[in-house]
Amino acid sequence: MSGAPLIRFDNLTLGYDRHPAVHHLSGDIAPGSLLAVVGPNGAGKSTLLKSLVGTLSPLEGAVHTGNLARVDIAYLPQAAQIDRSFPMSVFDLVAAGAWGTAGLFGGFRRKQLAVIHEALTALGLAGFENRTIGALSGGQLQRVLFARLLVQDARLILLDEPFTAIDGKTAADLLAIVKRWHGEQRTVIAVLHDMDVVRKHFPQTLLLAREAIAWGPTHAALSADNLLRARRMIEAHDPRAEPCAHAA
Amino acid sequence: MTRARNPARTRPDTVIADYLISPFAEFAFMRRALVGSFALAIAGGPIGVFLMLRRMSLVGDAMAHAILPGVAVGYLIAGLSLGPMTLGGLVAGFAVALLAGGVARVSVIKEDASLAAFYLISLALGVTIVSLRGSNVDLLHVLFGSVLALGDEAMILVAGISTLTLAALALIYRPLVLDTVDPGFLRSVSRAGPAVHMIFLALVVLNLVGGFNALGTLLAVGLMMLPAASSRFWSADISVMIPLSAALGMLACYSGLLASYHLNLAAGPSIVLAAGAIYIISLLAGQAAGLLWRLLPKAHVSR
Amino acid sequence: MLDRRTLIAAAAAALALPGALVAQEAKLPVVASFSILGDLVQAIGGARIELTTLVQPGSDAHVYKPTPADAKAVASARVVITNGLKFEGWMARLMQASASKAALVEASRGVKAVEAQGDKPGHGHGGHSHRGLDPHAWQSVANVKIYVANIRDALAAADPAGRLLFEGNAARYLAELDALEAEIRRQVARIPPDKRRVITSHDAFGYFSAAYGVEFIAPRGLSTETEASAKDVARLIQQIRRENVTAVFVETISDQRLIEQIARETGAKVGGTLFSDALSPANGPASTYILMMRHNATTIAAALAPNS
Repeated sequence: MSGAPLIRFDNLTLGYDRHPAVHHLSGDIAPGSLLAVVGPNGAGKSTLLKSLVGTLSPLEGAVHTGNLARVDIAYLPQAAQIDRSFPMSVFDLVAAGAWGTAGLFGGFRRKQLAVIHEALTALGLAGFENRTIGALSGGQLQRVLFARLLVQDARLILLDEPFTAIDGKTAADLLAIVKRWHGEQRTVIAVLHDMDVVRKHFPQTLLLAREAIAWGPTHAALSADNLLRARRMIEAHDPRAEPCAHAA
Repeated sequence: MTRARNPARTRPDTVIADYLISPFAEFAFMRRALVGSFALAIAGGPIGVFLMLRRMSLVGDAMAHAILPGVAVGYLIAGLSLGPMTLGGLVAGFAVALLAGGVARVSVIKEDASLAAFYLISLALGVTIVSLRGSNVDLLHVLFGSVLALGDEAMILVAGISTLTLAALALIYRPLVLDTVDPGFLRSVSRAGPAVHMIFLALVVLNLVGGFNALGTLLAVGLMMLPAASSRFWSADISVMIPLSAALGMLACYSGLLASYHLNLAAGPSIVLAAGAIYIISLLAGQAAGLLWRLLPKAHVSR
Repeated sequence: MLDRRTLIAAAAAALALPGALVAQEAKLPVVASFSILGDLVQAIGGARIELTTLVQPGSDAHVYKPTPADAKAVASARVVITNGLKFEGWMARLMQASASKAALVEASRGVKAVEAQGDKPGHGHGGHSHRGLDPHAWQSVANVKIYVANIRDALAAADPAGRLLFEGNAARYLAELDALEAEIRRQVARIPPDKRRVITSHDAFGYFSAAYGVEFIAPRGLSTETEASAKDVARLIQQIRRENVTAVFVETISDQRLIEQIARETGAKVGGTLFSDALSPANGPASTYILMMRHNATTIAAALAPNS
């Protein structure tokens, strides 16, 4: 891995209401990585993604995203707070991904329209353009959100549990898109809980249990030992414990 | 064979003209009422659509009470004079709207509870101020106008607000839609969210207070919410709902004024009742979501 | 037999006597319900009474909500004077709530009451109005003479020692009322008979109309209580055009705009402000009853008489 890292975590501590969810995390992520973030419940995985998007400020330490601007980062949260009853078409929701190039009131130029249509086709949504988002199934909505991510054309893509509660065919199609991004040298970080998927498709893994238990090639990171240590870490957590020794 | 005495007067097209057009042709106050209420409907409809989609449909009523301390202070300073009282009303309205919106944005309290809290505080403050002065004048009643009494300043006010609103909405349309349907996404790609929210609230207050002043509370809020709700039954596309709500509002103004004229009904309520009738018809028969359509047998699988 | 006990009793009685005299010099506490009545009561009661008026100038007696201070005043009053004719709907409850032992007097007792005109435009309706009596009896000076007599008698009944003073004040005031009556008639006489009609917003001048021959047209919806219909406004405009009514008058700011709209469309003049239910504040043109009546008559005449 040559060249400067895309992301650097510097003794990062994140939390809500002063309760740390991520503890003194340090490390680098190289550009073009395909990284899975796994760990038990409550391990701080979603929190870590939020710090990368910029919606959560560190309690201590820092996140360095180098020369990434806001438009270079695309984020798919775990449970999208989309108002399904809103009278919006699939096309419009996907087109919102072109925010970066179209801005506040630009009309869509031919090139952008082509991008949007291509994204819809890639996700198997050709013909769904005029359908209302309220009429979509869970799997279809996830396809639509992935199409939007495609349109965003970002350098860093963050996915939080993207395959939860959707059917196998859709999951396979979405994975294909992830592969495509990796092929395009984009950096993809995905929080996942299905270890099979991680082992099969993700070369790098960060095993997180508030601290980094293991970080590196997937096979080594997901050893039985490490998984046990991660679980113990979460179970041992005492919310009333004294401030830790690492604290500055 | 007897002939009707005035054959010309009973021809269908003259009857229609008499009924539908001549009240406006003959009376200046009818024309002004039509133009003024049209202006309110054109801006009110789109605002109402967004209020409805952002689950803020009861804001209008809350705002009618929230402006009281501003009106009271205007009254304390300048007596029963419309200019200062309206200005005070605007200030109070903006304060409540922006405070409520801001608090909802940064705390656990949601939009509706935040607004309820602030408008109640504001109302109580207003009542206290009024009772300190000792007078018993019904300030809100004095502030609110009537569609049949549109003076020149009121016409200019409503027209100006309408133009400003449409221009501002065109400007913030895209981020406002995103902020309503998927605020998380907007937040992840732009910092425009809070600003857009505040601008929208400001537009709401401007339209409401201006509408109260010119045309009364019932009419201002009614022309905002009823056509918007009606439009939902005819289209599932927000870019159609917006012009449709304006059109339905204008239809209500026209037919309401005619009803007031021919049936001797109070004018403002007539317009709102017309809007209400349009709503009921839409609710039942609207092509996109009307209730009656559900009763008809439908094809199960579209081929 | 002047023993010690008797002496002490006599001394005590002697000490109490000045106290009794002092008590008798204290003023008679009186409450008047609204500003017009207050002015009349003060004119008759003079320095012997301590007057509290409940509904102040500028406030509306129809929808008045009494305050705790009002309840206190009523509780400690000996006489409470109201207009009657159902003008003060809130007084009965206030008397009850304050447990007042005051004598409640209706100043309009003995006045020949007129039916409320109801809110109908002009005169086309056969006069069937089911709205009760018109309480604004003070708009006719002759009625106010009856008011004065009632007030004088009520005060004298509560404070017999002041009877002579009250009668003197009343007599003087009645003389002023006579002069006022003559002046009003003089003003009205300036107006050509075919022009003696005005548009006003509030339906409060029925007694004035009957006494002095000026027609007041108060269409429905121009007052603050009801909303106007387009038909009413249209009919009114047509009537103004047809009958050539030249003046409209406003009363409160809320109906001002509609009146101005009508004036604009018909070419009628907005003649000024009339006072019907209350006096103006002290710095205004109608701060006493006599000033108020004079102001109304002068304003109407000024708007309708030919050389104005």
